[in-house]
Amino acid sequence: MSGLDSAGAPIRIGNCSGFYGDRLSAMREMLEGGPLDVLTGDYLAELTMLILGRDQLKDPALGYARTFVRQIEDCLGLALERGVKLVSNAGGLNPAGLAAKLHEVASAQGLSPAIAHVDGDDVRSLELEGALTANAYLGGFGIAAALRAGADIVVTGRVTDASLVVGPAVAHFGWDPTSYDALAGAVVAGHVLECGAQATGGNFSGFLALPDPARPLGFPIAEVHGDGSSVITKHDGTGGMVTVDTVTAQLMYEVQSTRYLGPDVTTHLDTIRLADEGPDRVRVSGVCGSAPPERLKVCVNELGGHRNSVELVLTGPEIEAKAAWVRAQLEPRLTASSVTWALGPVPPPDSDTEEGASTLLRCTVQDASPEAVGRAFSSAAVELALASYPGFTMTAPPGSGTPYAVYRAEYVDRSAVAHTVHHADGRIEVVP
Amino acid sequence: MRAALGTFVHARSGDKGGDANLGLWVAHDGSTAYDARVAWLLGLVTPDFVRTLLPETAALPIEVFALPNLGGVNVVIHDLLGRGVAASTRFDPQAKGLGEWARSRLVEIPEELL
Repeated sequence: MSGLDSAGAPIRIGNCSGFYGDRLSAMREMLEGGPLDVLTGDYLAELTMLILGRDQLKDPALGYARTFVRQIEDCLGLALERGVKLVSNAGGLNPAGLAAKLHEVASAQGLSPAIAHVDGDDVRSLELEGALTANAYLGGFGIAAALRAGADIVVTGRVTDASLVVGPAVAHFGWDPTSYDALAGAVVAGHVLECGAQATGGNFSGFLALPDPARPLGFPIAEVHGDGSSVITKHDGTGGMVTVDTVTAQLMYEVQSTRYLGPDVTTHLDTIRLADEGPDRVRVSGVCGSAPPERLKVCVNELGGHRNSVELVLTGPEIEAKAAWVRAQLEPRLTASSVTWALGPVPPPDSDTEEGASTLLRCTVQDASPEAVGRAFSSAAVELALASYPGFTMTAPPGSGTPYAVYRAEYVDRSAVAHTVHHADGRIEVVP
Repeated sequence: MRAALGTFVHARSGDKGGDANLGLWVAHDGSTAYDARVAWLLGLVTPDFVRTLLPETAALPIEVFALPNLGGVNVVIHDLLGRGVAASTRFDPQAKGLGEWARSRLVEIPEELL
């Protein structure tokens, strides 16, 4: 144990996923690209929980991020050989199911990694109003307990994205729950890592400065020290860059004030200091933390209804009159409870391209029932093809409509949530 | 003079439920005017400034949080995205492009900062 200082060897924590659908090859690239102690991956956005919920309705054994299983099939031997621990929230709505699936994958390859899972985040049993999914955001101490007990792989449900970094740092340095400054430092490192390549030049308004834009952007790494300070970097030879600006970009993302509230600590964003420490190395220091909120945040998804849309192409003169006519034709045919129209910019006269002379009129319908946005909508639009404004065409025929979720945050007492570690040896531990 | 806000200001934007989040900060481009640019940006960005810069937000509740240590501000635009990413009928339902739109807008920038 290194204690609360920035001297001594840091723990090197990488990231290979910022969402469910991120670059599949990133796990292998991160394992092969250079030294790491822990490799993390975030697979859960608010809406992902609903996608996983629909999977689980079809097959109760599912409900986890299936791409993570494919990555483990490809990389398990490599990770074990290199001694890199894998920590991810790919368990989604079914961490136990994912752990069972990983055991299958491992034994088929003749491997026997220690696999732990963390759950207790699923609070559907609290019956929050209208909730299809309801998951409390857990902190990093469950992951830490699993790692300290020797897990090679830890899969969780809904922990905060930053907990994937906080947990391994807690396990490594032995921080206790009131080491607020150190925890806050690790939260900042975790927040920088959680969106993958968004820390290394992805979605970055300074993209013109990126070296060799043809090379895929590398995924980020945090070298976390015993006091919670860190250096953000990436493997040598990977694409993109790590600068004060690329790190700032990620720090500015998805935050809602100068206080970043989490289950383990409240992080004071106005205390973060960033410093350039050579090529692709940015030091993060000075972060202060204080006690976390009493209650835990819960991600609730409810079924909002069903929706569908169509885009009509309008070209040439009298654009607004064309839009008004087709709208007057279509509206009486629609039974959906909500109909929204949006007309794109009216093109300038005398364009020398057809596209330049055109704009889009988008009609979106929403309703509690799938029927009102399904064939009732698509047929009404298609039937106008030869019977409406001159030049009528659509970017694509309307489909059958899709259900949509509405996300909201709720807050519950900590006592309502049993943050539970299922250790690799079968032991069960509840984390306060 | 009139110039695009993005001349030396970076941005990143995104969604949190029905709210949009917009970070604006001064680029570390080696300019000797960095400190003066930060002071200017921190003084410039108020809720009313955002409503003028991005007219689609004119009627919405807006909060601005100064982060001088990061050389910028965090702006939260409430309710821009309606009921959240899956439900929104907005053209950019996750506000991914909002920051780049902000950077393209012309504002009055003191000559000595350019």
